[in-house]
Amino acid sequence: MKKSIYEFMNFFPFLKEVIKRDFKKKYYKSVLGVAWSMLSPLLMMIVITIVFSTLFKRSIPHYPAYWFSGNMLFSFIFEGSSAAMGCIILNASLIHKMKIPNYFFCISSVTQHFLTMVLSILPFFLVCVVIGVPMNPYMLLLPLPLIMAYLFTLGLGMLLCAYGTFLRDLNYLYHVLRRIWLYITPIFYPIDIIPEQFRFLWDLNPVYVYINIFRELTLNARLPSEKMLIVGTCYTILMLALGAVTFKEKEDRFFLYI
Amino acid sequence: MSEKQDAAGFTPVAAVESPQKTTAYASEPTPAVPIILPSDTPKGDIVVDAKDVSVMFNLSRNREDGVKEYFINLIKGQLHFDEFWALRNISFQVRKGESVALIGRNGSGKSTMLKTIAGIIRPTRGSVRVKGNIAPLIEITGGFDRSLSARENIFLVGTMHGHTKKYIRSRFDEIIDFAELERFVDVPLKNYSSGMVSRLGFAIATCVDADIVIADEVLSVGDAHFRTKCEQRITQLLSGGTTLLFVSHNALQVKKLCKKAIWLEKGKVMGIGPSAKICELYAESLKTMPVKTVKKPAAKRTGGQ
Repeated sequence: MKKSIYEFMNFFPFLKEVIKRDFKKKYYKSVLGVAWSMLSPLLMMIVITIVFSTLFKRSIPHYPAYWFSGNMLFSFIFEGSSAAMGCIILNASLIHKMKIPNYFFCISSVTQHFLTMVLSILPFFLVCVVIGVPMNPYMLLLPLPLIMAYLFTLGLGMLLCAYGTFLRDLNYLYHVLRRIWLYITPIFYPIDIIPEQFRFLWDLNPVYVYINIFRELTLNARLPSEKMLIVGTCYTILMLALGAVTFKEKEDRFFLYI
Repeated sequence: MSEKQDAAGFTPVAAVESPQKTTAYASEPTPAVPIILPSDTPKGDIVVDAKDVSVMFNLSRNREDGVKEYFINLIKGQLHFDEFWALRNISFQVRKGESVALIGRNGSGKSTMLKTIAGIIRPTRGSVRVKGNIAPLIEITGGFDRSLSARENIFLVGTMHGHTKKYIRSRFDEIIDFAELERFVDVPLKNYSSGMVSRLGFAIATCVDADIVIADEVLSVGDAHFRTKCEQRITQLLSGGTTLLFVSHNALQVKKLCKKAIWLEKGKVMGIGPSAKICELYAESLKTMPVKTVKKPAAKRTGGQ
């Protein structure tokens, strides 16, 4: 345990360097650079609002912000975990040459997507101001759902990475799953359209739990229900533990497959 | 993590006990008895202790990575692949202040051994224990990102070696100075010549205060001027009681730098002893080895008609 912590601290500067590099390379030579992290969800939001707002106008107040918050967390969870799934294969050459603990690649890919999401909170607030969502003190608790989603995604990413490194088809399968998940998560539609008797199933969707906590704090200006918080915390802890344990068990065999 | 430091202060690189203990060796010829000659080793602490190290690789000879294959193998109970044992039951010890050369033909497992000691590869069986920090001069250009400048790469690769930013900053000028890249600090590496990249890699890897230097053929980097500088750097590192593990095909260099040599052949130890003697034995084995001359295909021009 002590050694693990020591190892983590030892390579922590590496994590920072790598995230910095990836950020730099992501927007290399683009004129607007990092601004794209904020601009692209905004543009997408405009399109989605035009398409769906007439459909759901009555049941969802502040539709643009509603969609934006859902999409922000959903994209992060899936893109972050998907990046983590492929991180060992992507960094194969480095793993063959350097003594870097494998899980650092997972952390760096998830963190990079996390920072992109955190950046898009700025345009979220901009949207809130423009469409007249009142600011409220509960917004100060926003780090809570974000950190929960971060740790959940890290766990999910490590779990996927542990298997995806051996079976690369998982990546394609995961993208199909993502599409399905997008439709069963209330991102662009309200939860009300789900019949009452099935709604408990929707409440069990971990992605929706985090989105819901986020929306409660911002759009509904109230504390999320205790049940929601407990379920969210459980998902986070379980997924992180499951991911870490599986990853640890499989990582010795990674280098035979990359 | 269950690894602990034991009484002697060793940090085990790995101690993986594999369940299938007796497989895979069946088809192998019985290993020749290694020649072990006494060498006048210093009586210091043991800093590298390799015990029965075996390393297996996957040759992945065009195997299918697909779902079907995967599940078939899963049902069969094992995920099979082409096993290749790069190292087989290697055991040796290196004491503090020693300089040891690993010699042998291409593909004999020298680099794999060094990587195992550096902790990059975990031994499939057996254990390697290392005491002190290592300056790994293995694949010195490996961690670079070609789209970044030398400045950024120094920090990137430095942190990959586990240094803090503060430490790297304190050595920054020294690195640039040694690599002779003052004019190109902010130029992306993709615009460098290969010699310049190697020089930078060497400079970063050797800027540390290491207890053990692990060098894989890096002394053939750059031009004659820079090679001399590298050798000086290595000698300077060694003068302070540093241990050297070193792979080279240059017998002269081996005899000059190392007192002890380990001769590997097909992943097995053929001999351990004073470098002069072992180099001689190795050179002899090369002489007696039949060299197949490539015959020109016989002029078979029947002309067709």
